[in-house]
Amino acid sequence: MRRSPLLPALLLVLLAGCRGGPEAAPDRPQGADAPAPARGVIGVSLLTLANPFFKEMGDAMEAEAAKHGYTVSIVSADMDAARQRNQVNDFVARNVAAIILCPADSRAVGTSIRAANQAGIPVFTADIASMDPGAQVVSHIATDNFAGGKLAAQGMIEALGGEGTVAIIDHPEVESVIQRTRGFREGIAGTPGIRVVSQLPGGGMRDSAYRAAQDILQKRPRLDGIFAINDPSALGAVAAIEKEGRQGIVVIGFDGQPEAKQAIREGRMHASAIQFPDRIGQMAVAAVARHLAGEKLPAETLIPTALYRKADADRDPALR
Amino acid sequence: MPRLERLWSSYGMACVLAALCLVFTWATWRPESPGGFAGGESLARALQEEVRAGAVLVVAPDDADGRAFVEAFARAAARVGAPPVESVVGDPPTVRAAVEALAARGAAPRMVAATQAARDWAVWDALRAGVPALAGLEVRAPAPVWRSAFLSPGNLRNVADQTAVIAIIAVGMTMVIITGGIDLAVGSLLALSAVTVAWLIRAAGGEGAGAPAMLIASIAACGLTGLVGAFSGSMITRFTVPPFIATLAMMLVASGLAFIVAQGQTIYDIPSSFTWLGRGADLGGVPNAVALMIVLYLAAHALMTRTAIGRRIYAVGGNPEAARLSGISVARTLLFVYLVSGIMAGVGGVITASQLKAGSPTYGLMLELYVIAAVVVGGTSLRGGEGRVFGTLIGAFVIAVIRNGMNLLGVEAYAQKVVLGMVILGAVLLDSRRRRRA
Repeated sequence: MRRSPLLPALLLVLLAGCRGGPEAAPDRPQGADAPAPARGVIGVSLLTLANPFFKEMGDAMEAEAAKHGYTVSIVSADMDAARQRNQVNDFVARNVAAIILCPADSRAVGTSIRAANQAGIPVFTADIASMDPGAQVVSHIATDNFAGGKLAAQGMIEALGGEGTVAIIDHPEVESVIQRTRGFREGIAGTPGIRVVSQLPGGGMRDSAYRAAQDILQKRPRLDGIFAINDPSALGAVAAIEKEGRQGIVVIGFDGQPEAKQAIREGRMHASAIQFPDRIGQMAVAAVARHLAGEKLPAETLIPTALYRKADADRDPALR
Repeated sequence: MPRLERLWSSYGMACVLAALCLVFTWATWRPESPGGFAGGESLARALQEEVRAGAVLVVAPDDADGRAFVEAFARAAARVGAPPVESVVGDPPTVRAAVEALAARGAAPRMVAATQAARDWAVWDALRAGVPALAGLEVRAPAPVWRSAFLSPGNLRNVADQTAVIAIIAVGMTMVIITGGIDLAVGSLLALSAVTVAWLIRAAGGEGAGAPAMLIASIAACGLTGLVGAFSGSMITRFTVPPFIATLAMMLVASGLAFIVAQGQTIYDIPSSFTWLGRGADLGGVPNAVALMIVLYLAAHALMTRTAIGRRIYAVGGNPEAARLSGISVARTLLFVYLVSGIMAGVGGVITASQLKAGSPTYGLMLELYVIAAVVVGGTSLRGGEGRVFGTLIGAFVIAVIRNGMNLLGVEAYAQKVVLGMVILGAVLLDSRRRRRA
């Protein structure tokens, strides 16, 4: 019973093993095209790592950083603004070369960005913008949600042959989603044959969008299309349509999640305006590298979406 | 060696904390150029000859440290009789444009004196490659000295600052757990308090709200969460609902209320002066939230060790039946601890809203688990009747130090959770081992 110090000792060994983490391993293989020498660390705090969207973004950041001779240190804010603040403070204490953030809260993130500003560390945002006017962000890289909404509208016009009634399932709490809806409405506006007859909030999630879609279907016995602001909402709408046994309603989503692509392949969903999280990640790190090399950057870089239809799904090697 | 064992059982976690600090100090021990005044001075001295020849350009990022660096360099250069040195303060694009302009009018610098951060910018490679006159440009930073990123005053303040919210809520949780209960609602109560205080301040004039209004809003928010806590307490005592269930229910209620108050949005129209509590540091560099934490711990320690109510809390947790027979009102004691727990969660919410200058119903997600972990790591037994508030403070610091240290070392996000979980498990094992021995 006198070996009690064993446990803490074990813990310490475990922690000591942390030394020489990713940061201290600049000499790991980095691909054929010989990268530049180690230039420093880019601190990245992503909204969450539970969502494949952000995982893909993080992986792309890592790959791009290696090309420019940087290493990335990625942490997950787990959607918690207070945790993200702590993470940024830790990055500042570590004196990283630059910080990339996917804000957990567009307003609350201002505090963290100001702290980094004060320490002279450049801050970039990816996917979600900061709404704090006093916080200086070098450059913001995100999907062009407005154009994506217009693209979805074009897909809808094509699918309906320029005539019919459509509903929108939106989620007006989120700025990027507001842009999508605006883009869709503007895209539809040029075609007088198509009317938006209903617009309901769907919470951005499958279960609540399912209920919203049910309400729409009850109210509109004749409906030709639904635009859902993201794929979970679109899949919720598809579920409601299938439950009601309605035929021929064109559903278009947004994001390009694997399950939605599968639904498109099976013909249950018509299309989705897909985003490219890997391009966002890659462009964000490239922006950091260009900034540190002294290039002037635009305040915002928007990455276009693409409309993913059945023909794309049939060719997609990732689907089965 | 029974004496040594007793020492270990009392101060074991403090030893672990000290050991953790040593490990992280060692692991982050790296040569680094001094910044600010010291860096500027030493570099100017090292480059005396070049400076006298008038060929040095001083470059630093545009922050307090960088400006101090430039100023110290210029002053030290003047002292050795050099002509005034040119300097550029700004981000890489600014520096690049300035240096290119210098080169264009034939005044290309031969050497750049920079802070460490500025020296590491890729801009120098771009300039050497892009401008022929700068092909041989040399960039120098102050001679590095060994220092630990973990042990720097700024980072220690950072760790204390990160601990404050969890530690303050853990004061109430310690009392609850000593009575043999648990309070799962604290995370949601933090969110409720944060949105309530933000909402009240907005109602009192938003950005134009005065200090008295903000103080009243803060007290009202803590009062509200205290009421919710007391309500859980009364459910537990009046209807003998198990604490786990009663506070689980209140966790949902409080979270829902927070979303209702905030209408699912972030409330941010708060005056900048509200951040005094969360971001200010008035007492010789100690953050105000940390000072508040220390005051609350001293008060809680006095309450638990010097007053009748403190003894009652231990008695109720040790053996409720015996406590009741000896004339202690078990119900009133329980009501008190849940009230305190609610108020402490409210204080945590006000601090969080102040730190982030915004109140959002999504704050405090899973926070209750970290608070409980801090209490348990601090040596308070989940079976009740035993524990010390200062033990909890150490527990909160152990968790914060591990998190901070792993972030400084760049440990991968997933691995961090594993390590943190192992530490909590290790602490509980330590606790049960000690108990068996006792």
